[in-house]
Parts: sequence; structure tokens; C-alpha cells
Amino acid sequence: MSGGEHALESRLLKTGSERLALLGRHADVLMQAYTRDEVPLESLSDSALRKLLAARILWRPDEQSGVKLAPKVRELIAEMLADETRRHVNADVAETLELIRALVHSYREARSRGEHWRLEQQLMRLRQEVDDLNGRFADAIDSLWQRLNSDFGFVSQLNDKIRENDRAQKQIARLLDGLALIDFDELIELVGSDGGLRKLLISQLQQQLSHHYTSLREVQRRLIELMARFRKQQARSRLISGMAAFMREHPGFVPGNYARRSEVPGLVNQAAPLSAAAAPALDRNLDSRLLADLLHQLPQPRHTTQTVEAAAPAQAQESSLAAARQQALKQDVEHFYLSVIDQPQAEPVSALEYLHASPLEWPDEIWLFQVISEYQGLPRSDQKAFRLKQQESQASQFNHLRLIHDVELQLAV
Amino acid sequence: MIEHGPLLERLLAGEFVCPISDESGYRHLTNEETREEIDTYLRPLNRRLASNEDGSVYFLAWRQLNDNARDQLSRQLGDTLNSLLPLLEWLQLVQEALGRDTLAAPGDVLKPAEFSAKCEDNQSLRERLERLATDSFFGSQSDQLDAQVKQVFKRLKEHGYLLQPHSERQVFVVTGKIDYLVDLVRFIRDEENLPIEEGSEEGSGAQEALL
Repeated sequence: MSGGEHALESRLLKTGSERLALLGRHADVLMQAYTRDEVPLESLSDSALRKLLAARILWRPDEQSGVKLAPKVRELIAEMLADETRRHVNADVAETLELIRALVHSYREARSRGEHWRLEQQLMRLRQEVDDLNGRFADAIDSLWQRLNSDFGFVSQLNDKIRENDRAQKQIARLLDGLALIDFDELIELVGSDGGLRKLLISQLQQQLSHHYTSLREVQRRLIELMARFRKQQARSRLISGMAAFMREHPGFVPGNYARRSEVPGLVNQAAPLSAAAAPALDRNLDSRLLADLLHQLPQPRHTTQTVEAAAPAQAQESSLAAARQQALKQDVEHFYLSVIDQPQAEPVSALEYLHASPLEWPDEIWLFQVISEYQGLPRSDQKAFRLKQQESQASQFNHLRLIHDVELQLAV
Repeated sequence: MIEHGPLLERLLAGEFVCPISDESGYRHLTNEETREEIDTYLRPLNRRLASNEDGSVYFLAWRQLNDNARDQLSRQLGDTLNSLLPLLEWLQLVQEALGRDTLAAPGDVLKPAEFSAKCEDNQSLRERLERLATDSFFGSQSDQLDAQVKQVFKRLKEHGYLLQPHSERQVFVVTGKIDYLVDLVRFIRDEENLPIEEGSEEGSGAQEALL
């Protein structure tokens, strides 16, 4: 290994770490640039800006436009954050294959010339390229799974989800196309008999790629399923809002009576409910015992003890007599009400005049009392059918006691 | 058949059996042998097992459509149609109030409190809810928002569109009967040739491609 090569390597290392450190030093500004369109220049000094531009962390598309984040850095941040809205799928396999072919040729040259150090370098770069290729597929597949598993949760609208799903399916198609470009027959020929290359480019790569292929097919299947679900949801939502709008616009809309058709559609054929009722039955010995047990388990009803008093016939007779008289009075008053209903022209009828004209022998006071209470006992709707007018006078000028002399009942027309 | 007793009872009572309303019952019904057994049992009752097109919900249908059955179906169809618009408007209201772009689907969890809160903040939603709650299908007598929402959820539960897993908690789950309702709407649209679009925006997609 020559001294010049040593110097080159150490210079690369030094510049690389310096520039990587820039990322950390200006992390806040860079993240602001990531979320916005342009880099907020006010928070950067001139020299810092120059360094960031030199490191190609930032770039200026043209003189007029502002300073922006370099695409690779944006990609790096998106990758680190697993930010699915911006994660990028790079399926450019052709370019990598081209590079691998060139590296293999240059590796062979180095071997034939016995340049040991170059041989090592080429092998390392080959290994890196294969890892890169592998990593790109693994990353893309990871990103696709993330989006799938979150039901495209990073966008809220169904239409956006459908568009994202569509985009993801196109990415898969590109990745699969990329995989198809890798022709193992060609690679076998390319590596020839070299054991190390064979292991790296054939057995290892083949195993990894076939794993990616299976994963991609699985994601693709799931994406298509999810898309069908999205479309179904969209269709349902449209159907319901369409029907609701139609019914609002056509309030008199009545569909056909499907139940009267000769062939009743399956969907509207819904049988009437039946309840499977059961009651305790005592016609089986075994059950009777069980029922008896259940009966014993019931909580004791709390009856207050009732003393059975000795019958007192005279008293009972008297009270039943009173009840009978009360009933007779009520009936007579009801007849009075009926006669009021029968009045032609709905003329008012005086309760006392009716009583005196009839063969009834109730005291005036009791009669009036029952007529009034009958009126008050009527349901409100029936009360409205009658008008009860009381003839009354003030008992004395010293208080508000009023005496009722008579009442007149009239049909309210 | 003994192990299917409770399931049969639910079906006979007119319930719709879906994975949400009765998970194990529904699982049994996905087995063709069980379905045949149940059908045989139902034969003397003039009933048979039926499902919607997707098979996401099972219910009982008349086996023979005699006059009585047809009378009953006509009445039932009338009831369903009377409740159709309020149900569709409720579905739209839920979708808008909760800021979703999809309809409530079986398994979705709905909380009356969340729904009230959204309606409280938005006058237009509030008015629509008021109109809906006082519709004869929901029949709320109250002018209080919470009471109206409660009544709406109660009626939807009675009709089997919602399930309340814990009676003391105000959390509801949408059942598969919603699928049946959507199928019925689609059926009516097709039968009556109603001018209602359902398909995706193929037209505008093609336009985008042209642009």
C-alpha cells in the first residue's frame, strides 16, 4: 500500500466526518427545511451556508430561487423518520447491474495482474453494491409494509388512501420489473470459477432476492385486497348519500311491493319473530321437585299480618245500606246528566227544578252536592262538553263565604 | 342441535346474527352442515336460514310464502321504508360529525358522548340532529341534546343496528345489520332504476390521466 493512497484515505475520512458533523450542528435548520419548502436563511451564518452548500447538503436550483435541502438528504431524513409520505423507492436495478459488471471485470484484471490491494478494494465495493441492492429492496419492502399495516394512516381522506395505494402498487410493479432484470445465468457466466464471487453474487444474492420476491408478491396481494376494501367503502358511502338525497328530493317515493311478487327477493324475505315461551309444568316428578326447590328459594313475601275480626252483621248491614244509597244517588244524578244531553236546543236545566219535578226524594243539599261532584269526577275532555253554572250569593258582607242555591247544567255546543 | 339452542332462539326472535352480535353463533353458521341442521329444524315452523349476499349476516326467512307471510312482509317492508331515510341520515350525520370519510361499518365503536360533543360545537350538525331525533322513528320528546342523542342510540340498539356490550357503559358497536341495510338500499336502487351513482370516480380518473 503506497503512502499516497494512505494520504488519500485519511483526507477522505477527515472531510467525511467534518461534513457529517455539519448535519448534527445544523439539525434544527435542516429539519425546518425538511418540513418547509426552503431553508430559513436568517438562522444560518454565511460561512455555515457555504459549508453546507459545499457538502451538497443544501443546494440552490438557480439564482432566483431560495436554498433547498438536497434530494439525498431529504431522502435520508425520510428514511430515518420512516416518513411514509416522502419515503422514496429506488428500483433502479439496471444501473447497479451495470456497475457490478464493471467491478467484476476490474476485479478480474486486478487478479490477473496480481494487484492485491486493488483486488481487495474491488471486492469490497462489490460487496457494498450487493448490500446496497439488497438494502434498497429491503427498505422498499419495509416502507410498503408500514404503509399497508397503517391502512395508509398518514393520509386521512379515502381518496388520498386510494391514490397512495395506487402509487404503492406501481412501485411494486417497478421493483418486480427490477428483480426480473437480474439474470442469474448471466451472473454465473460473469463470475466464472471464482469461489468468492460465486458466493457473493450467486448463492447469497439469489437467496436474498427470492426472499424479496416472495415479500413483494405478498405485499402486492394485500395492497390489492385493501384497495378493494377502500373502493367498497367508497361505494357504500356514495350509495347511502345518493339514496338519502334522492329520498329527500322525492318525499313521495314508494318502491314496489316486493312482497307481492311471484318471486319474493331473498333480501326482503324476513320471517316474523317468534318467541319460544315456557311456563312451569308439574307433570313430571323430577321437575316438580326442582320447581318446589325453586319455590323455596324465592324470597319470602313480606305480608303484614292481618287480624281477622269477628263479623259484626248489624254494622255490615248498615254500611252496605249506605253504599247502596250512595250508588242510587249516583245513578239518579247520571240520569239527570242524560236528560241534559237530551234537551232540545241545549237549554240549561236547573238541578233543583229537575229534582222537584221528578218523583225522587233526595234532600236538596245532597242532590246539589252530588251533581257538582259528578261534574268534577268527569274526565277533562268530557267536562268540556258541559257547562255548569252555579247560582250563588255571598253569605255575609264580612267574609267571602258564598252559598250555592242551585246549579244549572247545560250542554256546551 | 342442543348446543345451538341459544342461537336458534335468537334467530327465531328475529335477530340478525353477525360476528359482532354473536361471534360463536356466527362461526357455527358459517359451517354448511350446521346450517342444514338448523334448516331441517326450522322446516315445521315454515322458516329457513337466510343471509345477505356477502354472508356477513344471517337471519330467518319464510320457507313458504303463503298469504299470511306476504301480509307480514308487506307490513314489514312498509315499516322499513318509513325508517329508511332517518337511518340513512343518521349514518351520514355520524360520518360527518366524527369527520370520517367512510360509513359506519360493522365493528366500529361509537360513543354517544363524543357524538354529542361534536354536535354541540356545530350549529348545523346540532340542527340536523334535532330534526332527526324528533322524527317519529327515533321519537325523542326532549329538547336537550344529550337526551336526544341517548334516544337515537337507544332506538338503534332496539332495532339491532347497534350493540351495547356493557349496559352501564355508554359505548356502542355497529353490527352487521348495517350491511343488510346497505344491501337493501342497493337492491331498491337497482329495482327502481334510481339515478344514484355508486361506482368509483372512473370518469375523473380518466380525465386526470388525460391531463
